[in-house]
Amino acid sequence: MAPSATSRNTIIRPPELPIIINGRSYRPECVPPTTTLASLLREHFGLTGVKIPCDQGACGACTVIMDGKAVLSCMVLAVEAYGHQILTIEGLPSDDCVVEAFAAQSEPGYGTALQCGFCTPGFVMTARALLDRVPSPAVSEIKEALSGNICRCGCYAGIVQAVRHASELIAKASAS
Amino acid sequence: MKPAFTPRVQRSHVGTYRARIDGTEKASGRAKYAGDLMVKCRVPDILYAKVLRSPFPHARIRSLDVSQATQLSGVVDILTFEEPAVAGLKSTNAGWTDGVDTLSYERMMWRRFCDRRVLGSHARWVGDEIGAVVAAESEEIAEEALRQIKVDWEVLPFVLDPVEAMASSAPILHPELGDTNVLPEDAVGGADVFVNKGDVTRGLADADVVLNATTTYHNATQNSLDNWCCLVEWCEDRITVWSNSYEAHQTRMHFSEMLDVPLNNVRVVSPYVGGQFGRGDTGDQPFFLFTALLAKRTGRPVLFRHSRRESFHDGRQHVCYHGTIGAKHDGTITTLSFNSIGNVGAYADHSMFAIKFAPAEVTEVAFAHIPNVRFEGRGVYTNKMPACMMRGVGNSQLNLIVGRLVDGLAEELSIDPLDIACKNFGHQWEELPDKSLVEVLRIGAERISWKEKRHSPGLGPLVDGVKKRGVGFSFHPGWHAEWQELRRGEVHVTITVNPDCTVTLDAPTVETGTGSNTCNVLGCAEALSFLGISGDDIHWVSTMDTDVSPQDCVQTDSAVSFLQSEAMAAASKEVKVKLLERVAPLLDATPEELDIDAGFVFRKADGGCKQSLKGLLYQASLDPVTVAVSRQPLAARTGIPFIATFAEVEINTDTGQVQVLRLVVVNDCGTVMYASGAEAQQIGGQCIALGETLTEEIIYDERTGVPLNFNWIDYQIPTMADMPEIDPVLLEVWRGGGEYGACGLGEGTVTCTPRAVLNAIYNAIGVRIDSIPVKPETVLEALGKTS
Repeated sequence: MAPSATSRNTIIRPPELPIIINGRSYRPECVPPTTTLASLLREHFGLTGVKIPCDQGACGACTVIMDGKAVLSCMVLAVEAYGHQILTIEGLPSDDCVVEAFAAQSEPGYGTALQCGFCTPGFVMTARALLDRVPSPAVSEIKEALSGNICRCGCYAGIVQAVRHASELIAKASAS
Repeated sequence: MKPAFTPRVQRSHVGTYRARIDGTEKASGRAKYAGDLMVKCRVPDILYAKVLRSPFPHARIRSLDVSQATQLSGVVDILTFEEPAVAGLKSTNAGWTDGVDTLSYERMMWRRFCDRRVLGSHARWVGDEIGAVVAAESEEIAEEALRQIKVDWEVLPFVLDPVEAMASSAPILHPELGDTNVLPEDAVGGADVFVNKGDVTRGLADADVVLNATTTYHNATQNSLDNWCCLVEWCEDRITVWSNSYEAHQTRMHFSEMLDVPLNNVRVVSPYVGGQFGRGDTGDQPFFLFTALLAKRTGRPVLFRHSRRESFHDGRQHVCYHGTIGAKHDGTITTLSFNSIGNVGAYADHSMFAIKFAPAEVTEVAFAHIPNVRFEGRGVYTNKMPACMMRGVGNSQLNLIVGRLVDGLAEELSIDPLDIACKNFGHQWEELPDKSLVEVLRIGAERISWKEKRHSPGLGPLVDGVKKRGVGFSFHPGWHAEWQELRRGEVHVTITVNPDCTVTLDAPTVETGTGSNTCNVLGCAEALSFLGISGDDIHWVSTMDTDVSPQDCVQTDSAVSFLQSEAMAAASKEVKVKLLERVAPLLDATPEELDIDAGFVFRKADGGCKQSLKGLLYQASLDPVTVAVSRQPLAARTGIPFIATFAEVEINTDTGQVQVLRLVVVNDCGTVMYASGAEAQQIGGQCIALGETLTEEIIYDERTGVPLNFNWIDYQIPTMADMPEIDPVLLEVWRGGGEYGACGLGEGTVTCTPRAVLNAIYNAIGVRIDSIPVKPETVLEALGKTS
């Protein structure tokens, strides 16, 4: 039987361990057990770079990095995040090469890497996690890693170029 | 490196490849969308509204009992259809709730179809907003309250198929409009036979070859990621609305006229919007009004937002076209006639725009040289999700049949379809062949290797033993040239030059992702190039606020990309005059004796007195120089450019899978305003276009009328893994009026793709498939491989 709204809104005591968001430690209280990590990040912490277009794990726009791995924060309960490291797009350095590459893409023939920009933080975080793991991915690896993200403006070609350019920036930085 | 396009006129800013002006803001997650302003930590006293939705495709509410729901802890207010504040509101429709221009209720576009109640009691599709709306401390509580409302439903018979809905025995959806589900004739769309040029009977008699075909387009939806929402505050007499609608002043008018509040007491704020694609061009806007009424009664800010499921609220018309084409042996078309039935769903909204208005427009600009043309079309109510506006409105459905007739005729006559197209299609202000069409098709054919890859239908070589390849194309007139934008009225722009020669540009429009903002900055830099500035010196005001912004240029038709730049070109002279008036006394000269170039002021006569403008401005009054201009789009009938898509496909004849290998998307733009943005539109449009062609489709349970896939797991939008290589080609052949002579291009990028793919499939397998989406089972059935 589905739980009633009353039980869904019951406030439980948060776990003992803190949740570490973008390097800072928090122990938010008053979190109903059904609250998703995505909702907690947006509504409680105002980290609105996290978007929730589908709320069912179908579009990737809520992607954050949890303990080094890209996760769909709408599919993670807030209470599951306690004791873990969460990195949202707000936690990336201001000169992050993935952000820069997405912003800069204008290479002829591929369009831009974003238009309305609503899916972009999710793509950036998914790409960031990929490049952390595989600094020089093949195009097929990029496509596989990012195929869980939807861009309705259809900037997929520009996004692939942006990830390739970010990869080149990483190679350049490590060479110097 | 892929080839870059070559502009007809080399300019410093307009037409260049560069990053979007909002690239960093958006890529870093810092860009704020309406929903981001409404999070709990920013609006602690926020309330959440949820509306009752019909579980039946057709039903009436006999009575409602909200007593138990009201008792639920956290429920603050419940508004029902019986209360005078709701029951007294006027019926409405999409003919004015959105609009290219700002319209009053009395001047709405489809006056005969005022078929929407705000929170009525008669539900006409599963999901219809009806009966009651709850304001509560959380969305979960509001949803639970809705479940606790006791509704006495009178369940009515329903109909999903438009042909069945036309039968005399069918249940009538809108008895208040008449005793039929067929939408009546109206002043805007015209009669059922809305185009009747020449005599199609004579055209048929004159023809050596006659061909008939039937095509069916389904009801895809826009699927913007940014779910529609609004936050409304109603304090004292003033309403403030934050929303992600694509127009601000029309929203203000909607509130004012429906709730009887003076215009200056309604403030509408719209920051960035996460995608439009026609999503907001719908009559489904009563939520603004009941949210406002709840805000008034509770005295608190109230948020209403669609869930992903609720975001399936309107889409493209499911249209079935029967077409007939007749031609001489030499390929001269003697007649074209069409008969269409459009399923408009539960409400009329803008469907007659798709069924009548758009085809009539195409007739004018593309069928002008065909002597006998006839269109007959009907829109029919059914108990399905309403159709309204979606990127490429009406044109996509029409292209599916026109491209079929041209391809079929060419085969019948053993003439290349490219030649049939060039021989017959063009606008009335130019002789055939149309230069734009010829060039669009020439380049497209070259890029797809038309001559090399095209073969007799179904007779190409096998690939991997079971796969067959083919090529196809379709073409269409573009639209949104300047003369077609006249109904917008004046376009407003305010340019402020600060003493340091930086510029604040108020080119009011809601930025939905189209890139018109970057076009505006490039247009401004071009117009003010005498200041010696670059795009980086221009700040574009990104948030529309009706309290302070001039009338917004409504973000439709992809026309904002050039209309405001045309206004800036007109304003630049005035900016220069004002600057010279400011600095002339410092140089003991009259403004007329001076000029400005590259940021320096000098004497026209001999180039003397050369001083930096910035230096002079700092010696004069430090007030910024502001010029506000309004400009009517030019009426000169310059015709229209053409567009085309070429496709190469590979069909697995064992599995029925259609793999699109390559798309070439060709747009004659008149003038490319922003090359990277234009290519992004060409490439990006294919996500919608290919989705509609191959995977996207709303599926109903025919037995219950319940839609089954209002989510992104079962309604399949193409991802990166699904997209083929896309070759965007920008051309500048045609030219419109004004400084730039551009034409909107974004909408049309989706129009030709479905037909191009269907023609390519035919070329590959030699069997016609004329309905979309083309799923593997469709292909297997066409190949006779199903049991």
